[in-house]
Amino acid sequence: MLKYLAKRGITYVFMIFLTTSAGYFLAVTSLKPALLEQERIPRPTPEQVANSMRLKGLDPGLSPWERYVDWLTGIVTRWDWGRSPNGAYINAEFGDRVWISTRLFLGAIILTLVIGVALGVYSAARQYKYQDRIITSYSYLAYIVPAPIAYFLVQLGAINVNETVGERIFFVTGISTPGMEPGWPQFVDMLAHYAVPTIAITLVGWGSYQIAQRQYLLDNVNADFVRTARAKGLTRNQAITRHALRVSFIPVAQSIAFTIPAIFAGGFFAEKIFAWPGVGSWSIDAISLQDVNAATATLAYGSVIFALGAILADFATTLVDPRVRVQ
Amino acid sequence: MSSETYLEPADSRPSPADRLHIAGLDRSLPMDGAVLSVRDLNVRFNTENGLVHAVRGVDFDLMPGKTLGIVGESGSGKSVTSLAIMGLLPTTADVSGSVMLKGKELLGLNDKAMCAYRGNDIAMVFQDPLSSLTPVYTVGAQITEALTIHNPTMSKQAKEARAVELLSMVGIPSPKDRLRAFPHEFSGGMRQRVMIAIAIANNPRVLVADEPTTALDVTIQAQVLEVLHTAQEETGAAVVMITHDLGVVAGMADDIMVMYAGKPVETGGVDDIYYNPRMPYTMGLLGAVPRVDVAEKASLVPIEGIPPNLVRTPTGCSFAPRCPLVSEACLNGEPALAPVPGGALHRAACIKSASLGADVDVHEVFSAPPRPESRFDLIPREERRAVLQLKDVRKHFPLTKGALLKRRIGTVKAVDGLSFDIREGECFSIVGESGSGKTTTLLEIMEFHSDQDGEVVIGGISNKDAADAKTKSAMRKELQMVFQDPTGALDPRFTVYEVLAEPLQNAGLAKPAIRKRIMELMELVGLQPDHVNRFPNQFSGGQRQRVGIARALAVNPRLVVLDEPVSALDVSVQAGVINLLDKLRAELGLSYLLVAHDLSVVRHISNRVAVMYLGKIVEIGEVDRVFDNPRHPYTRALLSAIPVPDPHLERTRERIILQGDLPSPLEAPKGCNFATRCPVFAALPAAKKEQCLTLEPPLEYDPPSAAAQALEAGPVPAPDQQFACFFPDGELDEDMLVVHETADHDAP
Repeated sequence: MLKYLAKRGITYVFMIFLTTSAGYFLAVTSLKPALLEQERIPRPTPEQVANSMRLKGLDPGLSPWERYVDWLTGIVTRWDWGRSPNGAYINAEFGDRVWISTRLFLGAIILTLVIGVALGVYSAARQYKYQDRIITSYSYLAYIVPAPIAYFLVQLGAINVNETVGERIFFVTGISTPGMEPGWPQFVDMLAHYAVPTIAITLVGWGSYQIAQRQYLLDNVNADFVRTARAKGLTRNQAITRHALRVSFIPVAQSIAFTIPAIFAGGFFAEKIFAWPGVGSWSIDAISLQDVNAATATLAYGSVIFALGAILADFATTLVDPRVRVQ
Repeated sequence: MSSETYLEPADSRPSPADRLHIAGLDRSLPMDGAVLSVRDLNVRFNTENGLVHAVRGVDFDLMPGKTLGIVGESGSGKSVTSLAIMGLLPTTADVSGSVMLKGKELLGLNDKAMCAYRGNDIAMVFQDPLSSLTPVYTVGAQITEALTIHNPTMSKQAKEARAVELLSMVGIPSPKDRLRAFPHEFSGGMRQRVMIAIAIANNPRVLVADEPTTALDVTIQAQVLEVLHTAQEETGAAVVMITHDLGVVAGMADDIMVMYAGKPVETGGVDDIYYNPRMPYTMGLLGAVPRVDVAEKASLVPIEGIPPNLVRTPTGCSFAPRCPLVSEACLNGEPALAPVPGGALHRAACIKSASLGADVDVHEVFSAPPRPESRFDLIPREERRAVLQLKDVRKHFPLTKGALLKRRIGTVKAVDGLSFDIREGECFSIVGESGSGKTTTLLEIMEFHSDQDGEVVIGGISNKDAADAKTKSAMRKELQMVFQDPTGALDPRFTVYEVLAEPLQNAGLAKPAIRKRIMELMELVGLQPDHVNRFPNQFSGGQRQRVGIARALAVNPRLVVLDEPVSALDVSVQAGVINLLDKLRAELGLSYLLVAHDLSVVRHISNRVAVMYLGKIVEIGEVDRVFDNPRHPYTRALLSAIPVPDPHLERTRERIILQGDLPSPLEAPKGCNFATRCPVFAALPAAKKEQCLTLEPPLEYDPPSAAAQALEAGPVPAPDQQFACFFPDGELDEDMLVVHETADHDAP
């Protein structure tokens, strides 16, 4: 197993290298920070701009290949991902933003999975009864409503609650209130900030898991092996929970591992709407600010997360399905 | 677990009065001592098309340790009956009547109350072993689960010991290690053994087996039937055996119930049913099955039509629309099961049962067509032209390892040096277990590419010259194929006209000519020409296969490759298709290359046969010679594994039960491939074994013995039979021979 994972790991490192390099070439040929710089007032001379860029390691005079070699040498020798046109160091900013994204999404992802899978099982066991119809209709609704709109609605709801109570219970934007004293008040402040984005992301996210888990379980509820289990003397519900559930979880486990990176890398709507400056919003900003190094760094981060997801999917599948265990 | 045992001495047969009860004549009360009594069982399903009355009044009593065979075609309600007894039907099914297990009513119990009986007093073995075990749990866990449910106090060690005992009882080698194996590591036959082990875990009083061997190869079927037999002996359970195969139950059952359209139409002792059937449907069923042990070739008895749709309850006899003896009276009310004159425990649901004695010829009743004669039958084989020749054809698949850099770690010899020829007007069959290379051989013939290893000559065109598309299309005109699954082989969005027109358009025929030819074809295969504009789903399975045959015949081929042409069809429908194939061969002078797992069908239809084992032909020759006097131990085992629909023969004959499954072609040994499972090899002295292990036996003629020469008076031409064995007709190993009963109880 370890050998297998190591083998997969090497393959993914190679693929990450390829995507990141390709991304860098794309960014370096299309993004021109120098042009943006020249729109400043008072307008600097082209020489001044080129000079300031050169100091930050973004010399527009060099060929893309030369810049790629410089950039790659920096990463390989010093683990230095370069600087932004405004002079900020990518490494420093990157660490902050990954931490913010993780805090924003981790709780929501866990809740999404647990609630989604649990509701899927619950509704499958009650197929076509009113509980199933309500839950599944909701999931389809969550599927089709664009995420930003759902986030806004949750925000509005939170504001409504605040107004009704006449006191500010939830913060609808931001990460924390500066200057809170540590201990209990800080904890309460954290909860008040976390509540709205976590609820919003969870409410939108669980639908797809609920639909998938319900479908896969229903595919297995009438399977021959469930009938065998019942013939042994298990009740229908026992047979389903002990035999059908684990089999139906195999494809869901695989999809979970792949959705986590998608949420992380694609969460810029949530980050923008709730004003949590994470990796997702950074990648969009990097493009609009013509920031070659930041854009490439977010791309590299996305590939790493995807590779981790893929390895996690393999791992999860082997864990629940003995048929794919490698000898 | 119940401590009582219902085991009876094998030789004590019930008194006539008891037999009366067994046959269900006394319908008011359950039989004294009957372990399972079913009375007036009715099952109705609410479907989109209306209320389907799937089971309509089933009665039977099952005595301890006895076996009841329920026989019927698909849709006859036999499986629904078994699921209703087990309480495993969906909750939407409406079940009424009475099911008494050891005097306790089971119908109407809720799921939880029923669980006390399921798996404990009454257990079930299902049809498809591949999907009946949970893939994510070990075999051991699944067996122990059955023990845990009904014996919560049993210790872990005791459960494991019992699981090991059960696995060894059903014949799984090194049971202790195999407990930790997952179902996917077991072959189909092994999984069915595990299913049986689970079913008998708690010593049930009743074991319901629903088509337990239908999905298995004949040799494996023989093994599994043997295991069921042992399981019954060990536990003393009564068995309800549900099957469509009259051969499978002939040797096992004490009583038989024939079902048709949800109703029992004939019940009685096994001998009554097989030797003295009194219901035209039973007679037809028995006549429709070809016999592997009979050389005489009469046409099979076809039962026209299809079983009724049970959305509408029949007003007359449900078999009337298909019955050749139907008269006005048959349409007035459904006949009830009534005692057959002369046999007190034999009952049939037919108003004419009194007149259908043993002297009635079923071929006459069903007006079976005369056996067709081909113009080629009179010409000696050597003088006929060859339509297909295979010379040393091989197909080896490399087995590789590694994701990026592939290393070759072995070779799977799917087909390994095959040579045979097919002459005009003859039917040549290939038989063997799954994995023996039959299908690969067909694919190699259809492939027809010059890069193939070995030469394939079709109608004088060799694959070595098949460089251009023109030669290939010339070859396709000589050879056409009929597939196993008629539903899958026909495009559901094509009308029959379009299906048949396609090959003709390819051949470049004009429109009026195509139309004319299609009408001819429809008539040829026994379909109504005005049905050409229908879609395949408007036809029954047998009719669809006829469309498939018509499509193959459209371009007037000389050779038709038939890949399991009747295995997807019900027995009564199968007979009609086999008769059609026989007729077409005679009338059109066709040659067939047939691949079938049903050796009875093979014997009935073919002239010559080849037995394949691990990619090689082990015996080849004229069909009657090979079947009546098999020389290779594998052929002997294969033939002995086939159950024959003749209870006396089945009970008394000696059978060879091969050990284990077909080995992987990867592990092909150096000497004889079959040595690992060979019953002759096992009995050989060590000195002679050496030869089998080191040398590969060649496929050769047997030199006629001096005695045979003297008998024939004059030079004897070498008989058309070759085999690859050093020790033909050798002594068989005692351990692989099984006889169920030595003496016969009551002769017919």
